Amino acid sequence: MAGNRENARGLPRLINVPGTRLLAALLTALALGYIAWKIGQAPPQALQFAFNGLAVGAVYALLALGFTLVYSTVWFFDLYYGAAAALGAYGVFYLRTDPSLGSRLDPNSIYVNVFFGAVVSGVAAWTLHTVLEPRLRGRTSPEVLRAGVILLAVALGAYTGIVLALPAHIHLTLSLAVGLATAGVIIAAVQRFAAALVPTISPTRIALAAAVPAALLGAWCGYLLTGAPGAGLYLSWGVSCLLAGCVALALYRGLYVYMRERARSPLIMLVASLGILLAIAALIVIVFQSAPRALPDAFGSTPWNIAGARIKGFNVFAIGVALAGFVGMWYLLKLTSFGRAVRAIGDDEEVSKVVGINTTVIIAVVFFVGAMYAAMAGILTGHDTALQPRMGLLLLLKGWIASVVGGIGNLYGAILGGFVLGLVEQFGIWDLAGEWKDAIAFVLLILFLSFWPKGLLPRR
Amino acid sequence: MPVNLDGIRTFARLAQNPAELARHARGNIELWANLFVIGWAIAFMLWQGAGFAVIVLTVFAIWAILAVSLNLVVGFTGLLSVGHIGFFGLGAYTMAILTSDPAYEQLRTEAIPTFGWTFFAALPVCIGLAGLAALLVGVVFNRFRDDIFVLVSFGFAIIAFNVFLNLRSVTRGAFGIHEIARPQIGNWVFDGEVEFLLLGLAFLALVMLISWFITTSSFGRVLTAIREDEQAIEVFGYRATHFKLAVWVISAMMTSLAGGLFASWTSFIDPNSFILLESVLLVSIVILGGLATIWGSLLGAMAFVLLEEGMRFIPYLPTEYIGQARQVILGILLVLLMLFRPQGLVGRYRL
Repeated sequence: MAGNRENARGLPRLINVPGTRLLAALLTALALGYIAWKIGQAPPQALQFAFNGLAVGAVYALLALGFTLVYSTVWFFDLYYGAAAALGAYGVFYLRTDPSLGSRLDPNSIYVNVFFGAVVSGVAAWTLHTVLEPRLRGRTSPEVLRAGVILLAVALGAYTGIVLALPAHIHLTLSLAVGLATAGVIIAAVQRFAAALVPTISPTRIALAAAVPAALLGAWCGYLLTGAPGAGLYLSWGVSCLLAGCVALALYRGLYVYMRERARSPLIMLVASLGILLAIAALIVIVFQSAPRALPDAFGSTPWNIAGARIKGFNVFAIGVALAGFVGMWYLLKLTSFGRAVRAIGDDEEVSKVVGINTTVIIAVVFFVGAMYAAMAGILTGHDTALQPRMGLLLLLKGWIASVVGGIGNLYGAILGGFVLGLVEQFGIWDLAGEWKDAIAFVLLILFLSFWPKGLLPRR
Repeated sequence: MPVNLDGIRTFARLAQNPAELARHARGNIELWANLFVIGWAIAFMLWQGAGFAVIVLTVFAIWAILAVSLNLVVGFTGLLSVGHIGFFGLGAYTMAILTSDPAYEQLRTEAIPTFGWTFFAALPVCIGLAGLAALLVGVVFNRFRDDIFVLVSFGFAIIAFNVFLNLRSVTRGAFGIHEIARPQIGNWVFDGEVEFLLLGLAFLALVMLISWFITTSSFGRVLTAIREDEQAIEVFGYRATHFKLAVWVISAMMTSLAGGLFASWTSFIDPNSFILLESVLLVSIVILGGLATIWGSLLGAMAFVLLEEGMRFIPYLPTEYIGQARQVILGILLVLLMLFRPQGLVGRYRL
């Protein structure tokens, strides 16, 4: 399947009719002229629309980043990606709607908690086994290894279930995890630095030396968290992103791996993930009912007034998240060996397997990261507007459009395409009503596929 | 034109020899799927009585017209279109606007043009408009394949839904259109459910006949060749673009016929009947039943309708979750089919 990538993408060539380029240039000029004319007419309003466009574009950019990562690695269109966005947003809703927090619907149910506990323990079992098996090979018997992994995984699953079951006390239940994570990150950082400075000391010894201060610092962080119930919202963001990622990983390892071995065309994968999307959207309706839901205001809702335009603090935050997401993805793909492996798999999966890249693990991580990006985009949308069970598919399509506009498979194109899509949508609804913005997005897509099929920034 | 009777002949031969029949039936998913769905349908209708059976069959007839016409595009030509709900809605709205009762008191703020035509006068307009729209859309969409085609057809469904919802001066937006006329020939109005069912089945038969004619003709063989290898058939001198455009327009016209029937049957439509989800369900019916067979589409539509009705009798399932539960089951079925049987239950072509 990797071999006929150009076929799989199905991107058309530029139309071979004379005058196409002229027409394209004319269209661009018309669009730009229209926008310039509108800006000249009412500058403060234009600033408002531009700002709204950037705020919406931030979400699209985030979606496009994750989507481009997944799509340009496996070259099939994973519709679970949309469900991940919905899952992330509804995860925050799930964790922040105790009756004590002033919501009428309490969706907390034992089935959901057990389900996600099971998913997490399954994913943890596979991850732990993959990480530990090569390191402990020959030192312990496989039975001991397997028993230990299962024990740890079940404990993690139970922990997840407990965290989900007590959403009002999330700052207490998660303090342990946050403390451990802090300690782990500190030990790893110290190891890196020391290995760079003094290569002769053994890494184990460094880790042991760093363990005590790291443990103290981790315990302190965890303790700080126990006194901060207000941190619950931000913790719930992290939890729902992680859960969406875990579901993606479980789907990949439990289903897509086998399916990709048999699949003759990317359409099979597309239809299968369509089935998953259908099922998840329906399950969301069953748990949360179909009425739109609102998330609590993250940073207060009083807008700032800048030169006649009203700007919400949360929107600035969303743009910041998108930029941070871009920087993180850029680091991951351009500066690490993981990124090199991802690009190699995107170019040719068979050959990467031959040269010794563990493609299953790398693609699993790609799915995990991609779903986390989608979930974060879903959360930002949820805070900005409202949650709807069907939001996933539309968000996914917007992410896809943004990555087509920017250029499929190009990191810079993804973020550029997201912002361009947001701006075009907002300037497009200046004269039309706001309800037409989905139609505008798709008209933009069709124009781009007809005239600039490779997007603004083509992949290499 | 020779009719393919091999299946019937094989069955007749097997029926005389029980041992061979048993051997033939083992592991034959196609046979079991047929038996299961047909048996389920018969049992269900016997159990529920004639009145219920008529309604179920009418719903089935509309879905079956949709599935058969979509199968021409998805199964026989290999273009996975998720946008056919747009043509369905176009047909339904054209029928609604042309035949809705002008005497019905309209909301003053949302007055829309009314014509008061009869069903059979409006039907050709429905079909013609859909054909025209399909021609325009098809010229643009013709250049896309595979994933990208799916994406732009999603786009078409969403644009169509936006038009139905927001073009309030024509469609009256979310309020919907009431009092759509029932079909009428002279003084004979198709008022009863049974009469309408007969009309629906007649149209279904017509659509099946047209599809059968298309797929067994040389035109259909070119479509199959396009599905298998577009470049190869171009080498033989066939313009694949023209063939794809032609089948796209024909399929859209048949879809809008179903839309007209649907509007007339329910006598009230609003944009919620034409959301993207319905289109996805329609595609899953076609894939579930089987790609590139007319019979498979009928089977898929029947299974889909029975799934919804059958859900009502699951204990402990609240009524408001019936649609959702059906959607979950359909989703899981799609995944299982893609894993183990990519051609669908009785299909002839693997995706």
